[in-house]
Amino acid sequence: MKNPYRSIEAEVLKVTTETPSIKTFLLKPKEELTFKPGQFMEFSVPGAGEAPFTPSSDSEIKETMEITIVKVGKVTDAIHELKPGDTVGLRGPLGKGYPLTKFIGQDILIIGGGVGLAPVRTLMYGLFHMRDQFSRLVYRGGCRDPEEFLFRKELEGWMKRDDIDMRFTVDQGDDSWNGPVGVVTTIMDDIDVNFKRVKAIVCGPPIMMKFATFKLQELGVRDRNIYLSMEKNMSCGFGKCGHCRIGPYYCCKDGPVFTYDMIRDFPGIWE
Amino acid sequence: MLFIKRGNLDQLLESLRGDYRVYVPRTMGDGTGYSLLGESDTDYEIGAIRSFDPLKSFYFLGREKVAEDFKPDILRDDKPPCIVGAKACDLKGFKILDFVFIDDEFGDPTYMKARKEGLIISADCTGVGETCFCTAIGIDPWPDSEYDINLSPVDDGFIVTTGSDKGLDLVESNKNLFVEATDPQKKAIDQNRSTVQSEVTRKAKKKRIPAADRLKRIIEKQYESDIWKDASEDCVECGACNTICPTCHCYLLYDQKANGKLARFRIWDSCMIHDFARVAGGENPRDRLWMRFRNRFEKKFNFFPEVLNEIGCTGCGRCTAACPGKIDIREVLARLEI
Repeated sequence: MKNPYRSIEAEVLKVTTETPSIKTFLLKPKEELTFKPGQFMEFSVPGAGEAPFTPSSDSEIKETMEITIVKVGKVTDAIHELKPGDTVGLRGPLGKGYPLTKFIGQDILIIGGGVGLAPVRTLMYGLFHMRDQFSRLVYRGGCRDPEEFLFRKELEGWMKRDDIDMRFTVDQGDDSWNGPVGVVTTIMDDIDVNFKRVKAIVCGPPIMMKFATFKLQELGVRDRNIYLSMEKNMSCGFGKCGHCRIGPYYCCKDGPVFTYDMIRDFPGIWE
Repeated sequence: MLFIKRGNLDQLLESLRGDYRVYVPRTMGDGTGYSLLGESDTDYEIGAIRSFDPLKSFYFLGREKVAEDFKPDILRDDKPPCIVGAKACDLKGFKILDFVFIDDEFGDPTYMKARKEGLIISADCTGVGETCFCTAIGIDPWPDSEYDINLSPVDDGFIVTTGSDKGLDLVESNKNLFVEATDPQKKAIDQNRSTVQSEVTRKAKKKRIPAADRLKRIIEKQYESDIWKDASEDCVECGACNTICPTCHCYLLYDQKANGKLARFRIWDSCMIHDFARVAGGENPRDRLWMRFRNRFEKKFNFFPEVLNEIGCTGCGRCTAACPGKIDIREVLARLEI
């Protein structure tokens, strides 16, 4: 019998400060540990506790994984203290992730916001690996300010590709920013996809996901084609501890990616 | 059908102590509570109704170390539990707990081990508690499954029924302790069962609990009702209803470092507590007490019927007995009637 509560030991190889409150940790698990885009890991600092995070690195890279973490509470405070050489625990992969094979042949529209750009990065790598199997690929991203823009250099590199339509906006600009200013829904009117069939993926803070979902509906995207990365209090990660229930589902086991038609009728989904 | 004298049951339990941790009900106030059977102890009491403590306590411990350092070991290696005198409502609780904890990929190892290796010697109810309402949930006050052997109290002893291969083996290997039951004894248990059943039903009827098969629909219909706010007014968020419930299974994982060792504990949690569903970023889908109160009913009377076709309540009435705010689950259900 397997012990589902046990973490695998991993070494912190590198810590990158992305913004004053966001760091990316490059980790090397001591045992084989792979994941699919959209799946998550329970990341623990020995003694300080566990919290769920979606990796931000390319899932095809098997030896290491990156996780990008915003400092918001007890566990993430401890995580932000980590230095190269430190030992951490990883438990997973958990959840279902994005059904990429269902996306084949379709237009793909990604709406990312804030720290949600981190898991979207994993998804983007996954999509790029099988780029010729999708039709149009559109990415709209938003952040509070240019400082909060994760992986900005990498994103600017992707913007030069001719097989993707990418645009970004910030709620508040500064001298370094010459792009659009406004919330992400303000740059969703020029999207050229087949809205009746497009697979729309939304990942970001709850408030942004809510308004992006409403905007997508307005544009004619079907609820069953809106894929939301839900954030709930996930403790065990496999549908037993009870914390992350949404209606008849557990966010951890049945998600964390849900189509909007699955969860739209349940209260508190945006909180 | 077989009969076992109380003195012979004492002997049987004594012999089981070699292979099991034998837990017996002992008189506590006006009921019974479970504790370990010591050497030559005979001071147990097959209670008239369910014990104060729920059966889950022996399978899914209130606090248990589930992982140490990064070792893959399964930690609990003590003898499996043998529970004596378990009642039907508690056994029905296994329908929920097994569904939650037993699975191939992420099964809870210590729960599964205790369920597989444990022994259950159940018993018919011979009385009706103040808060009992099992029959309103469709459960009879005598065990019909999930036991290895069942005891039906009669004069000087018990009629014994076997419910599993393990139970058959146990009877087979202790043949000398049993004799054939007599017709009057068999009659006596039928008599007791029907008396207790009609008494629970009579009491439940007085509370006007809606029919069991309508509860799921009622929760859906009344989802936005003001009843939740009103009914939860006396709740003090102590979580007693959760800890005492034979089907409440929620837990939290808690890490600690002691003596240079990393330990992960699985601890009972309560969905009535404010931060139960709160995420680190601060969002809380059930920020208000009445939402958490409603959630508890939704989980039992809507979620489990939806995903498992079973009601997540066994009518044991412990939550009502334990509530310092005197919230009566039967009365809340009655108020929700449509």
